[in-house]
Amino acid sequence: MTAALLSLRGVSVGFGGVKVLDGIDLDVRPGEIRGLIGPNGAGKTTLLNVVCGIHGPSQGDVLLEGRSIVGLKPSRIAALGLGRTFQTSQLFRGMTVLENLMSGLHRRTRAGLIAASLNLASYREEEARAEEEARLALEFIGMADFADRPGTALSFGQQRVIEIARTLIGDPKVVLLDEPAVGLSMNRLAEFDRLLRRIRDEKGVTLILIEHVIRLVMDVCDQVTVLSSGRRIADGPPDQVRNDPDVIEAYLGKELRARHTAS
Amino acid sequence: MLSYLLLSGVTTGALYALVALGIVVVNKATGVINFAHGELFMFSGFIAWSLHVQMGVAYPLALPLAVAAGFALGALTDRIAFRPLIKADVISLVLATVGIAFVLRGVARIVWGGKGDYLSFPPITSPEPIMIGQIMVIPQQLAVLGGAILVMLLFAAFFRLTRAGKMMQATADNSKAATLVGIQTARIYTLSFGTGAAIAAAAAVLMAPLTLLYPDMGFAFFIKGFAAAVLGGLTSLPGAVLGGLSIGIIEALAGGYIHSSFIEVSAFIVIMFVLVVRPTGLLGFSRLRRV
Amino acid sequence: MNLFGRRNVLLALFALAAIAPHFVNTYHLFVCNLILVYVLLSIGLNILVGYAGQLAFANAAMFGIGAYGTGLLQVHFGLPFWLAFPLGAVIATSVGLAISLPALRVSGLYLALSSLAFAQFTQWVFLHWEKVTFGAGGFKTPTVSFAPLPVSKPIGLYYLTLILAAVLFLLAQNLVRSRIGRAFVAVRDGEVAAESLGIDLLRYKALAFGLSGFYAGIAGGIYSAMLNFVSPEGYDLFQMVLQKAMVVVGGLGSVAGSVLGAGAIVALLEALREVKGIQEIAFGAILVVFILFMPGGLVGFLKRKVPGWEEPLHRKGAGSAPAPAAAPAPAAGEARP
Repeated sequence: MTAALLSLRGVSVGFGGVKVLDGIDLDVRPGEIRGLIGPNGAGKTTLLNVVCGIHGPSQGDVLLEGRSIVGLKPSRIAALGLGRTFQTSQLFRGMTVLENLMSGLHRRTRAGLIAASLNLASYREEEARAEEEARLALEFIGMADFADRPGTALSFGQQRVIEIARTLIGDPKVVLLDEPAVGLSMNRLAEFDRLLRRIRDEKGVTLILIEHVIRLVMDVCDQVTVLSSGRRIADGPPDQVRNDPDVIEAYLGKELRARHTAS
Repeated sequence: MLSYLLLSGVTTGALYALVALGIVVVNKATGVINFAHGELFMFSGFIAWSLHVQMGVAYPLALPLAVAAGFALGALTDRIAFRPLIKADVISLVLATVGIAFVLRGVARIVWGGKGDYLSFPPITSPEPIMIGQIMVIPQQLAVLGGAILVMLLFAAFFRLTRAGKMMQATADNSKAATLVGIQTARIYTLSFGTGAAIAAAAAVLMAPLTLLYPDMGFAFFIKGFAAAVLGGLTSLPGAVLGGLSIGIIEALAGGYIHSSFIEVSAFIVIMFVLVVRPTGLLGFSRLRRV
Repeated sequence: MNLFGRRNVLLALFALAAIAPHFVNTYHLFVCNLILVYVLLSIGLNILVGYAGQLAFANAAMFGIGAYGTGLLQVHFGLPFWLAFPLGAVIATSVGLAISLPALRVSGLYLALSSLAFAQFTQWVFLHWEKVTFGAGGFKTPTVSFAPLPVSKPIGLYYLTLILAAVLFLLAQNLVRSRIGRAFVAVRDGEVAAESLGIDLLRYKALAFGLSGFYAGIAGGIYSAMLNFVSPEGYDLFQMVLQKAMVVVGGLGSVAGSVLGAGAIVALLEALREVKGIQEIAFGAILVVFILFMPGGLVGFLKRKVPGWEEPLHRKGAGSAPAPAAAPAPAAGEARP
């Protein structure tokens, strides 16, 4: 058993007396694709925000490679190798696709005020390398032709994939994907499934998938964690989780209740 | 001394509170600040001057007429500088209202400014101070204070009791839901801009007999009203009133106990301090970061 | 290379500016010099507002701080212009950095307010700290000498401004297309996304404020030397709206646009010199009309009509690319099994 890459230790978050997360423990090992599912309001997005440093936990600790990242600025956590994507498209509107990808290289490039404004050779070389790398990253997702298009001119699904590429190009150790499959059609979903595996296998990046699309999670993830009402109710391989009575209750129970109240 | 300063602070503070209320009404409904708000205030004051001094319309009639003119100007601001830009970024929206502000200022300078003269408004009560117990009171101040309180009450009644006011409230709370129940949000925006400007107009007409009118006066009132609104959290109506009174009192005390030149600047110092220390204001919560 | 592309047009403008002193009278030379001062101001403000997206209203104040700094260091400490001028720019830069501190905690409308309050506070200091600033009447500054160079003060100052404007234009142009420019635009277009890529908001906001302060400080120092006189009203709200109009008319998020905007606005300002009310109406209306009907400014228009004006990192709606369609909302339930 290898040491965990990302760990949560008893993470709790409360807003005005309501516990949104309650003592969450989580260990994600390197090379894993981890699914994080749960009904609406289970606390998935809050958990993501805590890991990324957007807000701090009221209790507990978050460790990246054994080192606590609680209290660090989001940009610092990103620089330590934790990437994320967003539920809504967060491409930079004023940039082309290529420029968006190059901005993902920010933490791996060094040019400062002087080198950049004086157009020094060191800066020009770095910039050329960055552009080359960004083009390669576009090839990796099969979107090389879109390099010079404004990011916002693409379809929603394409924007999401470019965002993933923009995160990956920064060479993160672990990436949290927040509902990446929203808006993908069924045949696109299979393609996306393959992309996720390629990211893990070819780039060696650990992935945490926060998803509503249960099928994608069950197909692609090695381990699935289920949250409900701020608690972890199950944790294990997809097959085991699928048949877990608590999970069935959390999902179906809710649905049944919803149906009941609707009628 | 202290009681006199407090009274005059509360009086100016009540005017700031009215200006702030207008800012908050617009902000609640639309999420932006109308940077022409101070100029709408100034312009309405001049309209009242023309009606009252030039055309001889009685003050109690000039006031509602100027308020109506303010409403129309506010609604016009919405049609020109807000509605076409509803999908644009905040920078464009703010700069467009800054543009409107300068147009109004220029027009006022040409029509009423003359050679940079200040126009005076005849007092509506006796200008002689009277003594109430130990306190020296200028009747005009009491009239302004009373008028401001009356406007606030009328506004509260409008907001709570009328259909239009309730629709504004609903849109401010949740514009999507408001659309779903059939409220036309575009109308509400116009209504909010108009109402905000109307309150400012009322403030201008109340204030006019107490001081002089000049084309550059709008901005100072705007920034103090804005400061008051921020102090109250930018979306809270009671907060705006409280913020306005606080700024009025702070100014009066700074002017009385430090130096008269501090009347002008104390509001700016307060606001810089508040924004650095407690950007959510005294009462309100606000989302400073949106994903 | 396109004949009327950006580079050629700017080079031609530069050449024209370089020979202008031989053809124009003193008044027109002054106006040309003023345009160059505003080019500096406009580039600095565009970095802050157009690129980094920080809605701040303190640029006129920083312009004033550069002018007062340069002037007062000469008057009170007897420093020569050549020392006072860079020091004035350093002071303006430091003030720019200092006012970026609230910008880290607040954004959008709150930043607009705090910077407005700061601008009014600065104006108040110019007016009321009479022992140091000489109050509302302002003060005279010593005439700059270009000895041992055989040039008169207006000509020498003009060329000094031209060189500074050209150099600082090129530096800004390089900077905005680098990783730093991308970081600015990332902060503008999405703070949370920018942070998730490791872009430090504090660092880049402070940098944008500092740079705009530096450009405004340089402009202020030159302006004080042009007039030989410094007084509060040159740095008031009207100045603020002039600068905002320049950036909007030229094109938000375009360094080349700053040059065009400065030229256009100063020309108009001189044409309307007589009546303050008319100036206010004109600049207010221009601001509204451009935001409504030409949000990309002059440069946006050129990018659409003339080949060779493309720039990296343009603002939305200003580019040569077809107007981006709004991202289609995902069909509800499409992806849900």
